[in-house]
Amino acid sequence: MVELEIGQEVEMEFGGKAKVLSVIGSGGQGTVYLVRFNGQKWALKWYDIDKMNKPKAFRKNLQTNITDGPPSNKFLWPKYLTKETEDGTFGYIMELKPDGFDSFVDILNTYKLEIDPLTGHAVKRPVKFTSLSAMVTCVINIVNAFRQLHRAGKSYQDLNDGGFFINVNTGAVLVCDCDNIAPDGSNFGIGGKPGYMAPEVVRGIAQPNVQTDKYSLAVVLFKLLFRGDPMEGEKVVRDVCLTESSELKHYGQNAVFVYDPNDSSNRPVRGIHDNVIKFWRIYPDYIKDAFIRSFTTGISEPTKRIIENEWQKLFIRLRSEIIQCGCGRTNFSSMFVQPNEKTFKCPKCGMEFVTMGFSNRKTRMPLYLGCKFYTCEINPESDDFMTVAGELVENKLKPGVLGIKNCSDRKWKAKMPDGVFYDIAPGKGFPVWQGLEIDFGEIKAQI
Amino acid sequence: MSNENMKDPALNANQSASPLDDFEPAETVASSSASNDNMLDFDDDPLSATGVSRKSLVIFFLIDTSGSMKGKKMGELNTVMEELIPEIRRVGEADTEVKVAVLTFSTEVRWMYSTPIPIEDFEWARLRASGVTSMGAAFKELNQRMSRNGFLNSPSLSFAPVIFLMTDGYPSDDYKEGLKELQSNSWYKFGLKAALGIGQEANDNILAEFTGSKDIVVHAYSGGQLAQMIKIIAVTSSQIGSKSMTLSDDTGREIGEEDVFAAKQKLLGQQIQDLVTSQTDGNDVPFDTGW
Repeated sequence: MVELEIGQEVEMEFGGKAKVLSVIGSGGQGTVYLVRFNGQKWALKWYDIDKMNKPKAFRKNLQTNITDGPPSNKFLWPKYLTKETEDGTFGYIMELKPDGFDSFVDILNTYKLEIDPLTGHAVKRPVKFTSLSAMVTCVINIVNAFRQLHRAGKSYQDLNDGGFFINVNTGAVLVCDCDNIAPDGSNFGIGGKPGYMAPEVVRGIAQPNVQTDKYSLAVVLFKLLFRGDPMEGEKVVRDVCLTESSELKHYGQNAVFVYDPNDSSNRPVRGIHDNVIKFWRIYPDYIKDAFIRSFTTGISEPTKRIIENEWQKLFIRLRSEIIQCGCGRTNFSSMFVQPNEKTFKCPKCGMEFVTMGFSNRKTRMPLYLGCKFYTCEINPESDDFMTVAGELVENKLKPGVLGIKNCSDRKWKAKMPDGVFYDIAPGKGFPVWQGLEIDFGEIKAQI
Repeated sequence: MSNENMKDPALNANQSASPLDDFEPAETVASSSASNDNMLDFDDDPLSATGVSRKSLVIFFLIDTSGSMKGKKMGELNTVMEELIPEIRRVGEADTEVKVAVLTFSTEVRWMYSTPIPIEDFEWARLRASGVTSMGAAFKELNQRMSRNGFLNSPSLSFAPVIFLMTDGYPSDDYKEGLKELQSNSWYKFGLKAALGIGQEANDNILAEFTGSKDIVVHAYSGGQLAQMIKIIAVTSSQIGSKSMTLSDDTGREIGEEDVFAAKQKLLGQQIQDLVTSQTDGNDVPFDTGW
């Protein structure tokens, strides 16, 4: 392996040189350096071609990906290739991770290590989502990114916890390590990260593809929400030492989901898997059912795995069911008492929440100060889950009066107590009352 | 592989002859009773989580601190170990908690700390050299502590440990007897073993007996090489040890246990050989000259 020296210059394919400033990190396939190129700072991934099976094909695939461009702006995509050195070593440059993003690994660990430059001591800094809505938005973003990728006919192949940067305040996601992405059906030697690999890949009977991506995606989502390994329970812990053959068994030949309803041999162990035990009690059934399907029938039947669009719908629903109570308790509506089908009640402080029903779905959205709905929820043609369409706010001129503000760019109609529908232009609002009805266009809603 | 009878290390409670003899089932506690399913009887904050449960990996450094290590060798070793700790801090990532235990052997054998220390908190205590080379006693001591009741007592899953031996001379005691005891230890059998001979006197054959293969024995003849080799071995073995197995190249056939047996140890051998042969540092003054 040819390591680069600080200060060394690497020739780029289409001219110019990237100067190595420092090492950012190293992984299984090579090392990432901070470089300066064309007056700008970039990340340079420099391969250890000794560890590659097919370096020529790999480089060609990278070139194709660069030409095709990223499926969306959620990807830290390869930008330019370097020239090959005499022994065939090469790399590519990509944009740097923007400030404000933490790695998925740090989120799973709940802290990141910062090194005190004077003493060299490592200091732990907490890393945690600042709101439940940001966390669910992050899940939607991850799912959506893979939907876009798969729609472009490509698979990620090596989906694991090292592949994302996340903004814990907004839920924004950047997919990194995009260099193994390949057209569905091709593979340039990457197997994946154990624990994230689909069982058929672990067993050696399939190569990474779009279907195995779906399994890995379910693992990523499970880890993010339930903070544990979906396959690590009592059965696995009994082995004490995870040897190569026990991994083959528990993640390949005989993988059993910790909450498989028909097989209780691998339940989470208290004291070790407390997160999973706790969160399994919190999430609503439709989320748990999706994971059960992914990790039971989805183990042996790749075509039965949950598709990204289905995940996206489930998590958009989950986000709309978050209740932020005035007493400080924030949770999903399934964790609130339901005195009647149109009301939720906080089990801690007793505060009640009215709900709004939409014409295109059965479940009702709880209303509270600051709750939002998004463009995709009121426009059936839209896939936009990031743009706020409406928000419950307090009238600035009449304190104490709550209403819904039209944050969209469309005109709505709302029914007032006099029985008449009034036009609600973008930027305007209307009070919430017992008989409120809203006409968003194709979709309607009522209290 | 399970035929050898285990010797009788004082700290090993479980003495059955199964290959996983020490890997006795972890204590499992029954999951909570479902009767009291009130929404408020537990911390129900969806955002408050502890870190994901991590697998544990202990890296054992067995370091010769006999008199012949005095001077440049020990100075170099102390320096590189201090520098190494931050480098291996992140290898575990979210999956593995890496801990370090250091056993030194000269006339006596001694642990640097009484228990393995998480890499994030580990601080290298500089070593001094004096006395003879009680390697056999070190093997015996390692065998005793390398058990569920000793140093490998994590309640969650463990990866097989990394065991890294560094020495510059011929053992002054009966190393074979100690090694025989160690070889009966399951953690040793499944562990990743690597050895570094320092200077001309170190005997690569003895080291290969310890690792089980010549591939994982390397030699350093100069200060520069010593630093390089320690880093290569420690970083590579902790990277491989802290991660799950990697996929074999040839798919299309279902892989079985025999395909994955000792896969990590083989990978370590390959990677260390690749890295060692790519090092071309010959300008340093050899250890054994100029004293």
